Amino acid sequence: MTVLTPEPTAGPASSRTGRSISSATLLRSGLMPVLLVLELIVFGVLSKEFFTAGNLSDLVVNSGDLALIAAGMTLVIMLSGIDVSVGPMLGVLTWGVATMTGAGLSPWVVVLTTVAAGALLGAVNGTVIVVGGVAPIIATLGMAAVYQTVLFLLWGSRDLFTGPVVPLLSGQKALGVPLMVIPILLVFVVLAYVLKMRRFGRHIYAIGNDATGARLLGVSVGRVTFGAYVLLGALVGLASMIYVGRVGVVQSNSGSELTLAAIAAVVVGGTSILGGQGGVVRTLGGLLFIAVLQKGIVLVGVPALWSGVMVGAAVALAVSVDVITRRQVDRRERGNR
Amino acid sequence: MTTTPTITLHGVGKSFGATRALSDVSFSVAAGERLAVLGENGAGKSTLMKILAGVHPADTGTVRLGADPYTPASPAAAMAQGVSIVYQEPSFFEHLTVLENIFTGRELVDVLGQLAWRRMRRQATEAFADLKLDPGLLDRPMGSLSLAEQQQVLIARAVHDRCRVLILDEPTSILTANEAERLFDVVDRLAAAGVAILYITHRFDELARVADRFVILKDGVLVADLPTPADHNEIIRLMSGRQIDTVSARENTVAAAELLTVRGLHRPGEFEDIDLTVHEGEIVGLYGLVGAGRTELALSIFGDNPASAGAMTLSGSSYRPGSAREAIAAGVAYLPEDRKTQGIFPAMSTGKNIAAASLDRFAGGLGRLDRTGLNTMVAEGISRLRIKAPTPDFPITGLSGGHQQKTLFARWLATDPKLFILDEPTRGIDVGTKAEIHSQIIGFADQGMGVLIISSELPELLAVCDRILVMRAGRLVADLRGEDRNEAAILRATLGVDDADGKEGT
Repeated sequence: MTVLTPEPTAGPASSRTGRSISSATLLRSGLMPVLLVLELIVFGVLSKEFFTAGNLSDLVVNSGDLALIAAGMTLVIMLSGIDVSVGPMLGVLTWGVATMTGAGLSPWVVVLTTVAAGALLGAVNGTVIVVGGVAPIIATLGMAAVYQTVLFLLWGSRDLFTGPVVPLLSGQKALGVPLMVIPILLVFVVLAYVLKMRRFGRHIYAIGNDATGARLLGVSVGRVTFGAYVLLGALVGLASMIYVGRVGVVQSNSGSELTLAAIAAVVVGGTSILGGQGGVVRTLGGLLFIAVLQKGIVLVGVPALWSGVMVGAAVALAVSVDVITRRQVDRRERGNR
Repeated sequence: MTTTPTITLHGVGKSFGATRALSDVSFSVAAGERLAVLGENGAGKSTLMKILAGVHPADTGTVRLGADPYTPASPAAAMAQGVSIVYQEPSFFEHLTVLENIFTGRELVDVLGQLAWRRMRRQATEAFADLKLDPGLLDRPMGSLSLAEQQQVLIARAVHDRCRVLILDEPTSILTANEAERLFDVVDRLAAAGVAILYITHRFDELARVADRFVILKDGVLVADLPTPADHNEIIRLMSGRQIDTVSARENTVAAAELLTVRGLHRPGEFEDIDLTVHEGEIVGLYGLVGAGRTELALSIFGDNPASAGAMTLSGSSYRPGSAREAIAAGVAYLPEDRKTQGIFPAMSTGKNIAAASLDRFAGGLGRLDRTGLNTMVAEGISRLRIKAPTPDFPITGLSGGHQQKTLFARWLATDPKLFILDEPTRGIDVGTKAEIHSQIIGFADQGMGVLIISSELPELLAVCDRILVMRAGRLVADLRGEDRNEAAILRATLGVDDADGKEGT
């Protein structure tokens, strides 16, 4: 008698689904590789030095710290969170590294202390977000201001000059390969494994998709979220030692340039700013894109200032593609109600 | 059967504040038995299901699972004990694969704590085979599936291990006939495997197909527990028959001028071919099941959800609002369904909330506000509606729900509307304030305003409306007035019983 009524609405709606998803999916997964290849072609043609071994290993050395931060940032963004305090946080940690090194502490003590301190700062962010219920962008924006001020006070108009802490976190090479490649790759491999093969990783995806739904299925949303911010903090700690080795000096605004770059690497790589979708391998692609952009611009002879414009544009493009293609999916859902 | 039923409810009751949602409900379902749960909107079906699914605890009474007491602390705990629910609006992780969706929250791991994907895939494949689902779905993102497939996956997730009780909340409301038939097969197969099924439905035509027995809830009380098949008229009689005054509190004002006419209004997927008329000084009710398209239609009349076809007139002139702004300018006011998220501005004072929709009227040159005029208007609103705010500066969040609602009334009355559309005007409001709001609504109409009320509460509509329109699946299926304006007729139209000779539109 009445059963047939929904048919006309459900029919076309579900067939529309198939199309919009496939085109959206194509745009989502295809954008990054296309941009990267385009970029490599442009710089390869415009600059003869671009594809030399020296230049390529420079790429790694110049963005090793960024890579570690971006790896941790990936987890946080997949939770549909964000951490905009990583740059200033790294600044504070570099001051600690320089001071401890200056005081003659053993390098490995410096490494362990700095990683632990990073985890602690991450725990502060995590506590404000999970326990305090503050939106991640606001919580970490506030913490960024705190870290900036703390660094300014610690710095006290005295630049601290320092060098690499341990060879493994420096640009030192063996067989032409920078040693820092080893810990960085290890971090990415471990995180990729965790995301695929551990409960913690799967729960990050679930929470990023639908935190309430995940909680109703027994996922401890708070604990997983807190863990992700702690992990990011620890990685910022590790990154701070690569940073001092690379830059050689701690100043009042050290590290602040890294926040946008880290978020950019994650979203340009194809992890959704809306959460629930992505992974650290994609972030490697995003990192490559940004590293190549920053380096290539210099080689081609464009003023380095322009790299900021290009990175910003890439972020805007990646995020709008992400949000618009996701919105298509949402619109389909609403149509079916 | 003489064996212990799978699930037994004894004297279960539940109140939310002053509202009694369930009282003294007792029934049981045996293993392999399929029980349908019937009842109007707000009869307590959802509350009952949520108690069983571990969302709310019961206030009184006991529930037993087999022979053991059953008091789940959370949906996860309910699931762990073998009670699962599939909601009407499927909830899932759309960007994860089907396989990942099925195991989220109860992943299988090996001795090292690594996820055992192969084992999970094997289990899921077996579960899919049992339900005759396509195992090829396992690697597709959940969001790419059709609604019917998503629902079947959720059923597979619900039953996948040690499931003893499966609750389905109006599962066929979003399905086509073929998809529904497949769902019934799945339900049959689960029942044959010994799962106790609780099946909420509004569709009498599928009752005999999906259930061995049915219970009827009415105002939170169990009024029938009968085997299927049953006479549909008998069911209607049991669902209605409420002891209320079905005569409207006011005499129908006849022969007034047409205020709003709607002809052939259409919006794909939401409503079709809507014809309706509201006269000056008339109160028209719009009833229907949740999802019948009432709010969508109302928003369309208010310009916020423009229709793709059809024509409207307001006070005799053509009315084609392209936005809420235009509708307000034309003299239409709309009180949204959800007071908290669509209505009040919680950070502002009562007075500012009242003024919000009529600032334009008090704006002088260069947009300077006429403060005195505005304050007078606010003061009038507060006294006219008897809002319990000591001063206009009183924060709106300090008022009770009922008085917040009256503040919104005052806001819209200040715009001097010709047509006032009210969407669930008394939801979550205590009984006393409710009666006051009803008499105020009647007062609006007495002054010549046309009122269109959407409500899921039949007694409310019966108490205030001159005429009641019924929507079902996006169509207007009845226009009931006078003697026809009674509960049984409304339910019949709502549920589509005997609609062969039903009245279509106005």
